[in-house]
Amino acid sequence: MAMPDQLMFARRLGPTARLLIWLLVGVSCVVLDSRYHAIDGLRSGFSLVLHPVRQILRAPTDLAAELGGFFTRHRALQKERDALLAERVRLLTDANAAQDMRRENAELRSLLQLPPRPGQQFVRAALLYQGHDWFSQRIMLDRGVLGGLRAGLAVVDAEGLVGQVSRVYPGSSEVTLVSSPGHLTPVQVERTGQRGLVAGSGRGQLELRYMPTQTDIRKGDRLLTSGIDRVYPAGIPVARVSRVLRLQSGPYLKVECEPLAGLDRSRSVLVLATQPQVTTP
Amino acid sequence: MSAPTPDFGSWRHILGTLILAVLLEQLPWGGWALALRPDFVLVGVLFWTLHQPARTGFATAFAFGLLADFQDGVVFGQHAIAYVFGVYLVLYLRLRLLQFDPPRQAAQMFPILLMVQLTVLLVGWLAVNPPANLAMLLPVISSTVLWYLATGFLRLWHGKGLQGRA
Repeated sequence: MAMPDQLMFARRLGPTARLLIWLLVGVSCVVLDSRYHAIDGLRSGFSLVLHPVRQILRAPTDLAAELGGFFTRHRALQKERDALLAERVRLLTDANAAQDMRRENAELRSLLQLPPRPGQQFVRAALLYQGHDWFSQRIMLDRGVLGGLRAGLAVVDAEGLVGQVSRVYPGSSEVTLVSSPGHLTPVQVERTGQRGLVAGSGRGQLELRYMPTQTDIRKGDRLLTSGIDRVYPAGIPVARVSRVLRLQSGPYLKVECEPLAGLDRSRSVLVLATQPQVTTP
Repeated sequence: MSAPTPDFGSWRHILGTLILAVLLEQLPWGGWALALRPDFVLVGVLFWTLHQPARTGFATAFAFGLLADFQDGVVFGQHAIAYVFGVYLVLYLRLRLLQFDPPRQAAQMFPILLMVQLTVLLVGWLAVNPPANLAMLLPVISSTVLWYLATGFLRLWHGKGLQGRA
């Protein structure tokens, strides 16, 4: 049992005592981090060290994607181009109409003496990798503080709301997805204007909470952000109602929804960087 | 007490395999591969605790646990506590574990790896919120398979001499 370079009788602490000491250190780490956010510096340090490593290890997959893209069929590209041209025409008409409305809106707002809405900036970011956490659903993006991000910003893709930036590092950031368990998003039903709260239920699903049983809501209704929380701008599509259950036991409906954004598919997303709202007394 | 090769378990080996384990976890895993990904770092730390208890142990486990916490973006200490607990279990059962051939040793490691993962679950549950589902126990199976592969590989490489290392 005893190694040649070791004494027969150990003079240091036994394993149980050392386990207890390390457990104490561990528990204090958990408390310091979850209650007081006291060791965020360590997180940034790890991120600085590991970020270049991750970039290098991602290179083979990126190269494979590049090569796969190179061998796309000519016909498929032509088809995609035609579809994009048609969509561009449609979007241009929409954009003209929107510009007209914006001008009209600004005039009306100035007539009513309402403050102008904060401007909107987009930051494009690509998915770095998927987080491996069973307690919430997260993704990492390749932009961070240096790209102008900060915690709390909304993240969208072409179809809808993806989530919210929860932690920022120098060169990367962490996004908590809307489907993350316990993550709340204030929404309104597009058809009726009814406001409510959407919570993630895990497994990529959402749940519209606290809807009284007599609420007018059907399968297929779209839910948009309501904008009353000052986190998400109003009108971003969030989810589509997939099932409405009337429970005998409770006063509320059980409304299940499917997120519209490609939470596990999107490779590139937009971060909405609103200017911080300045309130003048 | 026969040493098969004098440099087995040198600092170079230990650091090399642990860094390799960390690098493997940095690969862009996704989908099913992510759900089934074995905990390379845990297997590495426990492996060296079993074979070189004088060199790796609680402090190594704690440091790599903090790294795993960063990697998964979870609260600091969650994996650190679990890894430390795993090291304790391996030290406690060390003489017993060293007697077995690779498949049996892997089978004996299964409950230890399960206990470690359950500790991660418990700490996360107490510190953050209830877990989404129990798919987090899947890596236990893949980690056991990885343990079997690692021990089998070591046996092929060094011959049977390692069995007398208890």
